[in-house]
Amino acid sequence: MIIGRDLTRIYGMGAVKVRALNGVSVKIQKGDFVGIMGPSGSGKSTLLHMFGLLDRPTSGTILIDGVDAGTLDERARTQFRLRRLGYVFQDYALVPELTAKENVYLPSMARGMTAQECTLACSEILTLFGLGNRIHHLPGEMSGGEQQRVAIARALVNRPTLLLADEPCANLDSQNSKIILDLFQRLNRDLHQTIVMVSHEEWHKKYFDRIISMKDGVIEEEVNRSEGGELTPSP
Amino acid sequence: MFEESKVAFFLAKRSILRGNKGTLSLTILIIGMVFVNLIFLPSIITGVAVLFNQQSIDYSYGNLVIEPKKNQVYISQVSELQRKLERIPGITGVSPRYLTSATISYKGNVVTPVLYAINPRDEQAVLRIATKVSSGSYLADGDTGQVVLGSRLAGNEDEKLDVVPSLGGVSVGRVVEISFNNGVTRQYRVKGIVTSNSFSVDSNAFITKKEYEDVFGLEDMANQVLVRTIETGKENEMRNTLLSFGVQEKIWTWQEKSANFLNQIIGSFNIINFIGTAVSLVIAIVVIFIVIFINTVYRRKQIGILKAIGIDRSIIIKSYLFQALFIFAIGTLMGGIFLLLILQLLAANPIVFPGGPVAPVVDLPLIVRSTMSLFIVSLIAGYVPAWITTREDILSAIRG
Repeated sequence: MIIGRDLTRIYGMGAVKVRALNGVSVKIQKGDFVGIMGPSGSGKSTLLHMFGLLDRPTSGTILIDGVDAGTLDERARTQFRLRRLGYVFQDYALVPELTAKENVYLPSMARGMTAQECTLACSEILTLFGLGNRIHHLPGEMSGGEQQRVAIARALVNRPTLLLADEPCANLDSQNSKIILDLFQRLNRDLHQTIVMVSHEEWHKKYFDRIISMKDGVIEEEVNRSEGGELTPSP
Repeated sequence: MFEESKVAFFLAKRSILRGNKGTLSLTILIIGMVFVNLIFLPSIITGVAVLFNQQSIDYSYGNLVIEPKKNQVYISQVSELQRKLERIPGITGVSPRYLTSATISYKGNVVTPVLYAINPRDEQAVLRIATKVSSGSYLADGDTGQVVLGSRLAGNEDEKLDVVPSLGGVSVGRVVEISFNNGVTRQYRVKGIVTSNSFSVDSNAFITKKEYEDVFGLEDMANQVLVRTIETGKENEMRNTLLSFGVQEKIWTWQEKSANFLNQIIGSFNIINFIGTAVSLVIAIVVIFIVIFINTVYRRKQIGILKAIGIDRSIIIKSYLFQALFIFAIGTLMGGIFLLLILQLLAANPIVFPGGPVAPVVDLPLIVRSTMSLFIVSLIAGYVPAWITTREDILSAIRG
């Protein structure tokens, strides 16, 4: 589903160059719930940005659903993000002037759905996420956990093939983090939603089917969850 | 395209409804004031032009002015010309007259104004001077030994109040001495004083044509014939009509006679107006630019996120354009209402210029021109900052 080949990303100009990714090759299958973990500066967020088409690799290729992301122009990348990807940010990133419903409504509207279809889709998803009574609230009137659930609803409303989450629990307490992670797990198990999530919390590991550990811009280790629930290194 | 506009409108509407009302209100107020400024000064200038034009017709020239042929001082057999002119359809008045300079003295004050010699009844069919007698009475046909003075020429006893050299406050019934340029000097009783607010009337003097011809030994002549027509604005057509009726003298329209004076005034006003308009538009563009720019910079991260979730850059730019257009629309509307109030106020308390009260002239082309220029300025001021901010790559914007 996602195939990254020999991805490098070098930041900076002139003498000072930072190799955020240093030849990473990775394959993520449909229905996977993948955790990308590692210390700060390991390149985990950079890799997620590549998958999310928010950044371009300095070299290497990314294929998502058979589409070579490198061949897409800016407008096509935007359309790809809108129609195929869902992105959840660390700090919720909701539009403050839009209510929960309107924030979720926005991507559907941009896809050209009718007002009726948008309303139906976002009411359904917000109710599913336990926010049925908060749909007319502005982000400033909701808790962090609620805002993040709205952000997840926004990411999922267009039924993306891939959900990307960049440390979605970083600003949440453990209780709200658990709610979010349980939600992700449910989406993955019940709806077979492919999820790639960046995290550095050890206790999040239990939610992932597969963990890619990174260090200094390369993949240090890959582990898969066996049917018995044990994490075993990839062959 | 329509879908994009729909999303952009949705974002703009929410931003306006739920954004900072104080900043928005102030911006709208400024644009409203700019709109008032764009309309008000030109409307006053047009009002002044209309006033001076009407004064030229009513107090100086009528619609057409006939003058002697080249190298001739007088039009001879002027009564025959007058009869001919009066038979032409569309002409309502014909006034033959002499004009000369003369020296008038009163109690040691000596002034050299233009002296008009007129047939009062004919003159009243062309000009409105007779309706502006502020004291005494106007000349009558056959009057001799009598003069009507303009109020500025008559002047004030306190010479500080005079705006032109005057006779120092002469009043009706007093006797002034007029020395003509043929050397004749006669005494004249002041029959009336006229106050018309027209410089050419209020600074000069009037005697009858009969009196003038007696002084100069002339008969049935004139060096100017004023013609009044039914319709103003068709002077060129009337000139052709006069030519076709065999008038051989030089024929001028009132615009041609007053062109220099009026052009100087309007030219100066137009420079002021141009500067005022340019400054107003610069203020408008800077204010909207700053508001939108601060808005976009403040929401840099949000713009990055919108792009990240798949909202196209053009939608985001359009949403700021819609906001700029909203500011323009409400600002213009508010300015329009404010302008109406000002016009009401000026109708009750008109601005008085040296030529008289000026009514601002707000016509459709002026409104359209001002609205369009403000519209274009708003588009530019909304588009450029949004374009600059949305150009930034997504990750830099998100990281702030």
